[in-house]
Amino acid sequence: MRIVDLLNKEKIALNITAADKNDIIGKLVDLQSKNGILTDKKAYTEAIIAREAQGSTAIEAGIAVPHAKSGCVKAPGLAACTLKEGVDYNAMDGKPSDLFFMIAAPLDGDLHLEILSHLMVLLMNPDFVKELREAKDAEAFMKIIDRYETEKYGGEEKKEEPKTAAPEKKIRSVLAVTACPTGIAHTYMAAEALEKKGRELNINVKVETQGSGGAKNVLTKEDIENCDGIIIAADKDVDLARFGGKPVLRVPVSDGIHKPEELILKAPKAPVYHHTGETAETQISESFGRKLYKQLMNGVSHMLPFVIGGGILIAIAFLLDDASIDYSNFGTNTPVAAWFKNIGNTAFNFMLPILSGFIAMAIADRPALMVGFAGGALAVSGATFASPGGTAVPAGFLGALIAGFASGYLMLGMRKICDKLPKALEGLKPILIYPVVGLLIIGLFMCLVNPVVGAINTALYSGLEAMGESSKIVLGIVLAGMMAIDMGGPFNKAAYVFGTSTLATMAAGQGSDIMAAVMIGGMVPPIAIALATTFFKNKFTPDERKSGVVNYIMGLCFITEGAIPFAASDPLRVIPSCMIGSGVAGALSMAFRCALPAPHGGIFVFPVMTNVGGYFIALAVGSVVGMLLLGILKKKVKTEK
Amino acid sequence: MVSAKVKVANEQGLHMRPAQLFVNTMTPFKCDVTVIFGDKTINGKSIMFLMAACIKKDSEIEIQCSGEQEEEALKAAVELVESGFGE
Repeated sequence: MRIVDLLNKEKIALNITAADKNDIIGKLVDLQSKNGILTDKKAYTEAIIAREAQGSTAIEAGIAVPHAKSGCVKAPGLAACTLKEGVDYNAMDGKPSDLFFMIAAPLDGDLHLEILSHLMVLLMNPDFVKELREAKDAEAFMKIIDRYETEKYGGEEKKEEPKTAAPEKKIRSVLAVTACPTGIAHTYMAAEALEKKGRELNINVKVETQGSGGAKNVLTKEDIENCDGIIIAADKDVDLARFGGKPVLRVPVSDGIHKPEELILKAPKAPVYHHTGETAETQISESFGRKLYKQLMNGVSHMLPFVIGGGILIAIAFLLDDASIDYSNFGTNTPVAAWFKNIGNTAFNFMLPILSGFIAMAIADRPALMVGFAGGALAVSGATFASPGGTAVPAGFLGALIAGFASGYLMLGMRKICDKLPKALEGLKPILIYPVVGLLIIGLFMCLVNPVVGAINTALYSGLEAMGESSKIVLGIVLAGMMAIDMGGPFNKAAYVFGTSTLATMAAGQGSDIMAAVMIGGMVPPIAIALATTFFKNKFTPDERKSGVVNYIMGLCFITEGAIPFAASDPLRVIPSCMIGSGVAGALSMAFRCALPAPHGGIFVFPVMTNVGGYFIALAVGSVVGMLLLGILKKKVKTEK
Repeated sequence: MVSAKVKVANEQGLHMRPAQLFVNTMTPFKCDVTVIFGDKTINGKSIMFLMAACIKKDSEIEIQCSGEQEEEALKAAVELVESGFGE
């Protein structure tokens, strides 16, 4: 960095007049904005004034260096002026100031410190200051600076060049991975803070969140290749293998929330990460299972809001409707109910296309989204070659899963093949070749697959329907227990998605007993823990007891994640207790033939349940069993005071 | 003469405001105040010299006070730097 490079003739005004401090600040800001480094003059002026309010920037001997670091500064710059008559700038020595250098620095740690330091070294020389004051015009002014600077630092700096070259290099793209142990709040707060700051700084920031619902917005190989740096804001293990050869900055997740700007700017300067560990081959085979899981979760996590939003509105419809009018139309008998039902259905019907679309997108990016969507929709309609308009036997959830993965890998393959096409067709690929060929192929594929999957589905569900009492109870135990194993992880989600998929096949107004067992399995763990913190106070730390209360609410709302902190701190005792409690509740729910027409909602959907009384008993018994087990298994916490 | 080594704690290093604060804090003491940073020896009562040294965060500096009130001056200086200049 050289001072002369930060100035130019247009940004220098000599022997002007200024009435007071604010007047000269205004004039300097005008000069500063001349080469377009300020995105917002007003914000910059405010930053300058705010800085002056902390203490004057007048140094001594009539020199002042007003400066500000601000997000509205795109590139570092200087503006300079001399006054015919000095103005009072609240200098320490009380003298009026008549030589001004205004510094604009982007929000980067040390740059403005370096400019200041540089400038100070020059200004300490009284001859330099004297010559500047006597300079005839801007060109002469520049020449004086150049001469003294060259004398002091040499024409081309060696030492400081690399240091200052870095921040000036435009950062285009920064990636981040955020993760926290619970994966509910911090992961997403950090991601949001980073993305928001990225937009402010005009830097493309993509954040992968590794929350409790699985990894979302997964960074692709291309992303990683093209980025300038990677931020890992995580309080748990993040697999870094894929980031080898890139600058990786590792910080706690809280830094992502509180210091997004610093992280974004620092990341490209972080040390380059070298992965040491498994060989490349095991990495690939290892990550394949993980990749499948992530791709599936990408679909599931995008699908869930549709399921929950739509499902709950449908549940409200049942709640408001009067079944005695016409049972076969339950849910749409009264106009209000019909409204809720239709709106809910609209969202609910997106469920499978969204699932398959986003699975596909996780595999092959945007080109696959449309193909996956269409594939999912075809699975819903159950289209076959004989009746392409759809059949009565949809391929449902299973079909949509197949459609998602098939679309993804189909598009991945197509992209590889299309790489061999001439460059001239490059623009045609995303707008013509991918969608048309992709749709054709997935259409053929789904028509082939649908009858098979449809048959499997029908067999599966009629099997479930026909299941005897005892095997249903076993199913209830297994599903409810799965909900409690990992509280939001893959087991939990697998059970939950299975439950919601049974809902989709139910006739209007009919609840699913499987869904009921699944929900109760998710409600028991937080409630059991909350009860345990109330009745076995000595087994929990004061902090745990406090958060225990919240678990009552979490449990009643069917937010299993509330139990995670407890499970994480003592998994070997907490998880089995919860699983057994959930299993008991699931078994009872099945035994009482409780059924639930809504996919989520906890206590709020109780009114639409079949056999609420039985459900209550099941929930209470399951929770108490869980609580008692926790009380027996957990060790007393030593009070350390 | 007394001296102590301290680490600059505030995020932005010894920029103008901290430098001013440092000089303002040191001026009332009669002793000489010298800041040693790397191979630079700096007059601790001059803003310009302090700023010219370009002292960044986490740099270790040595403060030397020599003369009347040297103990008090050093104590005040160390406290100020360690407190991060109120930033």
